[in-house]
Amino acid sequence: MERIAIEKKILSANDQVAASLRERFAEHGTLVLNCISSPGSGKTSLLERTLASFPKDTRVAVVTGDIQTDNDAKRLARYGFPVRQITTAGACHLDARMVERSLEGWDVGSLDLLIIENVGNLVCPTSYDLGEECKVVLLSVTEGEDKPLKYPSAFFRSKLMVLNKVDLLPYVPFDIEKAKENARSVHPEIEILETSCTTGAGLDQWLSWIGRRMENVKGLAGYAISQTA
Amino acid sequence: MHEMSIASSVLDAVRVEGRKYNGAHVGKVGLRIGEWSGVDTESLRFCFEALVKGTELAPLALEIDFRPASPNMDIAYLELEGG
Repeated sequence: MERIAIEKKILSANDQVAASLRERFAEHGTLVLNCISSPGSGKTSLLERTLASFPKDTRVAVVTGDIQTDNDAKRLARYGFPVRQITTAGACHLDARMVERSLEGWDVGSLDLLIIENVGNLVCPTSYDLGEECKVVLLSVTEGEDKPLKYPSAFFRSKLMVLNKVDLLPYVPFDIEKAKENARSVHPEIEILETSCTTGAGLDQWLSWIGRRMENVKGLAGYAISQTA
Repeated sequence: MHEMSIASSVLDAVRVEGRKYNGAHVGKVGLRIGEWSGVDTESLRFCFEALVKGTELAPLALEIDFRPASPNMDIAYLELEGG
């Protein structure tokens, strides 16, 4: 047998689409967040609180993925911002092509922020680059604090971990310091916020985190333009 | 369970790369799968075998080099049988 070195990423086709999306977003200074979590960690609730807090002229849109139903899109559309649903009809994750198709007819240049709510799943979505600026992983306190160890790829690849439902901490045996330690053992630089969509705790920090990243991405787009001018 | 689509991407790559070597049958494909890639290697192996069975690619062996604490998911090499 003759062995031939290939040295290619398995998902290189997806990565190529993701790279072209990322280029498009960067050019327009659009911050794109890819939100990942188990089902029921509160992605949609967090996005509802997020959209509800934005001024009406905020240039934000949401793409939300689910295996079935457009329930999430209906929930999110109530806040007056553009929302699109991707129904994967069985697939456990979004891929770059699905996102590319969902953007058809939208002017990306008119958006400062695009939030992608991935299918509720802590494993498969982590393998697929969607062209996002960064991934955000949600972990709710009703889950196990060892999830970062059980599902390391989600935490390794995320810039930020949002510990959600902290209002329930008095009622559950969740060790929040242990959860943070576990996340940092997989990803030492991971940023961590604590939120509750019921009480509103921590939402200010979440919103300013988004704000800072938006400014950053805008600044870089401006820089790219001035470099080419 | 996205291992089916991962396996299918591997086979697409085997077909594309294999065509470059006229007439040679690809006997084996070597992958590098990281612990943090989000891929279950047993499930990937199962899907791979199911997809190869009965196609022009069979027989096609699979070797998985599992890498702890790595996010990689690569096709490392192909092995050709004489053609």
